[in-house]
Amino acid sequence: MSNHNNGAVVRVEGLSKRYGDIEALRGITFQILPGEVFGLLGPNGAGKTTTIEILEGLRQPDSGSVTVCGMAPAQEPAALKERIGAQLQATVLPDKIRVEEALELFASFYQHSASIEMLLERFGLAEKRRSFFEKLSGGQKQRLALALALVNDPELVLLDEPTVGLDAQLRRDIYALIEQFRAEGRTTLLTTHYIEEAERLCDRVAILDRGRVITLGTPRDLVESSGHGTRLEVRLAKPVLPSRLMQLDAVMDCREAEGRYFLHAQPPAPAVAALVRFLEAEGNALLDLHIAQPTLEDVFVEMTGRRIGD
Amino acid sequence: MMASIRIALMSIRLVMRTKAALFFTFLFPLLFLFVYLGFFARGNPDADLYYFGAVVTLTIMGSGFWGLGMQSVMQRERGSLRRYRLAPIGPGSMVLSSLLANYLLGLPTIALLVVCAMGFFHMPLRFSLLTLLVLVTAGTFAFAGFGLTISSIANTMQEAQVYNNVIWFGLLFLSGVTVPLPMLPQWIQRFAAFLPATYLVTSFQAIMVKRESLFDLGAELLALLVSGTFGLLFAWKLFRWEKEERISRRAKLLSVTFIIPFLVMGTWMNAHRGLGAWEETFSLMSRPPLAAGQHAAPADGNLLEDFENSQETEILLQRWQVSTDASAAGHSLGELDVVSPGSAGSEHALRFHGRVAPAAGSDHGYVAVRYTFLLAPRDPGPRGIQFDVRGDRRLFQIRIERPGEALGAPTLTFVPDSGWQTVRLPAAGLANPDASSRGGTTWVLEIVADGAPGDFQLDLDELRLY
Repeated sequence: MSNHNNGAVVRVEGLSKRYGDIEALRGITFQILPGEVFGLLGPNGAGKTTTIEILEGLRQPDSGSVTVCGMAPAQEPAALKERIGAQLQATVLPDKIRVEEALELFASFYQHSASIEMLLERFGLAEKRRSFFEKLSGGQKQRLALALALVNDPELVLLDEPTVGLDAQLRRDIYALIEQFRAEGRTTLLTTHYIEEAERLCDRVAILDRGRVITLGTPRDLVESSGHGTRLEVRLAKPVLPSRLMQLDAVMDCREAEGRYFLHAQPPAPAVAALVRFLEAEGNALLDLHIAQPTLEDVFVEMTGRRIGD
Repeated sequence: MMASIRIALMSIRLVMRTKAALFFTFLFPLLFLFVYLGFFARGNPDADLYYFGAVVTLTIMGSGFWGLGMQSVMQRERGSLRRYRLAPIGPGSMVLSSLLANYLLGLPTIALLVVCAMGFFHMPLRFSLLTLLVLVTAGTFAFAGFGLTISSIANTMQEAQVYNNVIWFGLLFLSGVTVPLPMLPQWIQRFAAFLPATYLVTSFQAIMVKRESLFDLGAELLALLVSGTFGLLFAWKLFRWEKEERISRRAKLLSVTFIIPFLVMGTWMNAHRGLGAWEETFSLMSRPPLAAGQHAAPADGNLLEDFENSQETEILLQRWQVSTDASAAGHSLGELDVVSPGSAGSEHALRFHGRVAPAAGSDHGYVAVRYTFLLAPRDPGPRGIQFDVRGDRRLFQIRIERPGEALGAPTLTFVPDSGWQTVRLPAAGLANPDASSRGGTTWVLEIVADGAPGDFQLDLDELRLY
């Protein structure tokens, strides 16, 4: 795989895009390095799909610059499409096209193409090669969409919400395929609003909210730098003011939602001990306690005050 | 170009797998064929050809408007164009693939129509298939441009249906596709000169009924090709991959320039060429009872026809009308041609030929040719009619009558052979014309090939009164 722009396969600077009154992107900037699995994480409407579609050349930015594989998508669309593979959020094909025919047809558009047999085997579609698109299950359609993204053996793969709407098993299958991309040295950009997906698959993640990159780094760095410490989720017999829980030893913050209290503590052990003492003194009781390491969700909550799924 | 061919071939495969698409592509045009030739033409070979032109035009228009145009909008609305957009192919490839698929699907449909028209309705193949192919190609090109332009400016399926319906029904009823143009008021005929469908249907009818060549239809072909080119250019420039993309009002207005070739053509037709050519084709097809001024009349006192002026062949053939047993479920065929040489050293003769093919279960079929002529009052009146014949050794019957009224004269039968011989039919009534008809009396000579099944051929020349 070749390097471009000081090593970056994708280079995005100050990208803005507006749809009427809605500002979809507000000057986002990031780079993707060769062989990296890069994630754009954010809630619906954050600007993930707009960003990836600009990189694919499907949309034009209002301002900012984009370079993909050393080319500007708007300037050299045909040459660029030879080198990238893309999977749309929803891939629609004619109902009566067979799996094998779809792969052969789309492969025929490229100067260089991958082996159709290999793709059928790799994406578990060999037995479905004669099936019509309309007869495929959701997971099979998604696997076909991924296979189509690889028909030209691309150096950069762009995946827009590749696991949305799939059950847990199918999601794990897709994760395995993306990990194969990494093993092959392909650069991969994926958008997702699943925390687990970003943490598990991505070398680096840019968290988007309302058209802005609010933070960017490896999942571990982002979590560690958030300063949140361990997360305690508790349910109590009687309600209590969150401000009183915040005064306990080692507790950094506390918020209440739907009868549950979410505390961050560093270190966690003194905080748990202080919580138990406080409840005894108040005549209250601990009904439930969960202790978890912080996640990218916590990072998002810390920076936006909202959950990704809100 | 290769991408367009591959997409077109895939589109054809997809049509073959969809029952509704198969029905509308292949069977629906056959319904029109059976209605037009079965109900309107009713066994008249010229009418078969005339209405066949309308059926082919309908088929081409239908695939342009409802097949090609709607399919593009549907694909865009459904989102299936997006996947193509990710590949290194452009709008030009998509437009070209639509055109190719439409054309390649249309050809077998037209071939099926020709075969069914000949098989079920005994339509004579009086036109060159190559000429038909060229005209089908030009027509498909023009209406593909039309359909794709509409699909380019329509934002939704609903909008495309509205545009299509307005234009489709306008063309259907005002261009001669449904109602022959000469049957419409003259102001509609003048308006029809601006419609692309008019040029297609009248061109088909001209090559089939009047046996015109493509050189005679240069202006019509040019208008179809220029219009198709305009349409495809618009479709290419205005092509949209995404349903969210909207077309500007300015672009919509710009696309109206698609009709410029037909504005020019219509103006020219109305100002210079006139509408007589349509009338001429229609009269050749319908051959209504001739008005007094159009009747054949003895030229040199006694001579009715010697077939020597080959430039007037079409006019001559207007006076000769073939009828068959098609209305009695027979399959007999009859045709007329001017051939060389004629009798007694003359250059031309009329050939009446075909095949007697009775209906199932019957031993006898029927093919006749009827000749209409006008006889002015004179003194002394003729005693009968005579003509030279030669042909197959088959029994033929002749009789002479006034339209709608049997004369009562006996029917004469004769058997020709390969040498010329003269046949005389005495008819006392010829000498006693209707006193009330000062302008003359119309007579019909009928020659019938005897009912035994098989091919027949009869050459006629020097038709005169004696």
